[in-house]
Amino acid sequence: MRKFHSTKPMERLVWAIIAIACLMIAWYIGATKSELGIFPSPIEVLKRLLRAFSEPIGTMTIQMHILYSLSRVAVGVTLGSISGIVLGLFMGMNDDINAFVSPLFYIVRPIPTVAWIPLSIMWFGLGETTKYFLIFISSFTGCTIQAFSGVKSVDQTLIGAAKMLGASDFRVFHTIILPSCVPDICLGIQAALSSGWATVVAAEMVRSSEGVGWLIVAGQNNLDMEQILVGIVVIGCVGAVITTIASIIESRLCRWNNRSGV
Amino acid sequence: MKKVKVRRTILSISSIVLFFGVWWLITNGLNIYAPTTLPSPIKVFTTLIDKITNPNPDGATLIEHIVVSFKTMMIAWIWGAVVGIPLGMMMSWLKPIDLFVRPLFDLIRPIPGLAWIPVFITLLGIGETSRIAVLFIASLIGNILNSYAGIRQTKAVHFWVGQTFGATDAQLFFTVALPSSLPMVMTGLRVTMGSCWMCIVAAEMLAANRGLGYMIQQARGTFRPDIIIVGMIVIGLIGTILNFFLTKIENYVVRGRRQ
Repeated sequence: MRKFHSTKPMERLVWAIIAIACLMIAWYIGATKSELGIFPSPIEVLKRLLRAFSEPIGTMTIQMHILYSLSRVAVGVTLGSISGIVLGLFMGMNDDINAFVSPLFYIVRPIPTVAWIPLSIMWFGLGETTKYFLIFISSFTGCTIQAFSGVKSVDQTLIGAAKMLGASDFRVFHTIILPSCVPDICLGIQAALSSGWATVVAAEMVRSSEGVGWLIVAGQNNLDMEQILVGIVVIGCVGAVITTIASIIESRLCRWNNRSGV
Repeated sequence: MKKVKVRRTILSISSIVLFFGVWWLITNGLNIYAPTTLPSPIKVFTTLIDKITNPNPDGATLIEHIVVSFKTMMIAWIWGAVVGIPLGMMMSWLKPIDLFVRPLFDLIRPIPGLAWIPVFITLLGIGETSRIAVLFIASLIGNILNSYAGIRQTKAVHFWVGQTFGATDAQLFFTVALPSSLPMVMTGLRVTMGSCWMCIVAAEMLAANRGLGYMIQQARGTFRPDIIIVGMIVIGLIGTILNFFLTKIENYVVRGRRQ
């Protein structure tokens, strides 16, 4: 019988170690034997990464760079997702508001966040506001759409039943609409977090003096491949951690939702 | 019922009118914002018309910028699809490839496409090759993800039916798994097109001498926010058009989805 490989976790782990070891060995051989001389070996990158925790790159150590980037993401995503969710909920519940807002929304939405970078630098200068604004934009639209479609997919019979039993509009909102939107809103926040992380890297690459995006661009300017690769490793790891935490939170919240929904 | 519809249409139109009205009022009307901060909608429109044929101040007309960006994006996107879709399907279908390639794939997946820009600029210089390489990775990852998931979501019942009638492994793949993965594959193509379009703008902002990203980045240096806004409108518009066509193609290819 054809089945999708139901591999044991142990087997998977062993193969993962083999695959990554092969990659590292190939990288090592490629780096040490190549004529280019610019590409560092994995050991050098690892050493540099460990050193970066105590020795500053630029003006600060690597954990401070990460914290700077994370704080920008935190502020931008919080503002963007809260206002996006509120707007999406209103648009979903009131068709007049939807009719008024959605034309503007569909003008702005197709513009990729990175295309806002030059204009936002002109408007807000080179400081933190620019980064907050960009991350705000990157998380805002996605959250609005998710919250909107969440409201639109609420089971209408539930609302009808509650209204027939005399529930007020507010009660319908916070006992029916809001809980059934939680999975959609969670998806929106997850997407906001990962696009926020990508946006902070882009924003810092274009203009910044600290943060993980600065790290890789400064490496490029100094032709320092080690620093670029350290930056990429850090960006990948932090990105993976953010996604993992977000999906854990989502599974918690939505488990509650499923149970109460049944 | 009809009254409500009329009211909604009026609301939609008035919001756009209000948007441009306020924009005009705070720029040309009351001069609250200087043209070097926020140009008026009329100025943006005239710049748009002018920029189509005028190569100043960045050395290329709007059309040339569009062609350069679009060409780079298409090359990288197609290569990413040509490599990514078969690879994702093989990862999903063949266990040894899954076991070996998947960990490596999971390793690079969390890295945003943009973060590769410095690596390729350092290795390949600031030419078109490095931009194609960055976009290729962005396209590759999305296409692998979606084709992998597409094959995986094939219904087990369909395999059982196939096997009952004695289908070989290859037949199962080409007649059962492949067609049922198409909706996901098409979604992957559409999504990666969007992310490639975003990446080309970013890549051109960092290192290029042509292209829409370069145009808006240069316009910041020369204090021409009107060109920046023209660029943003064009970028958004092309993104929408591409998305529209791919949705059309998607609906045609997977028309069997609607039973």
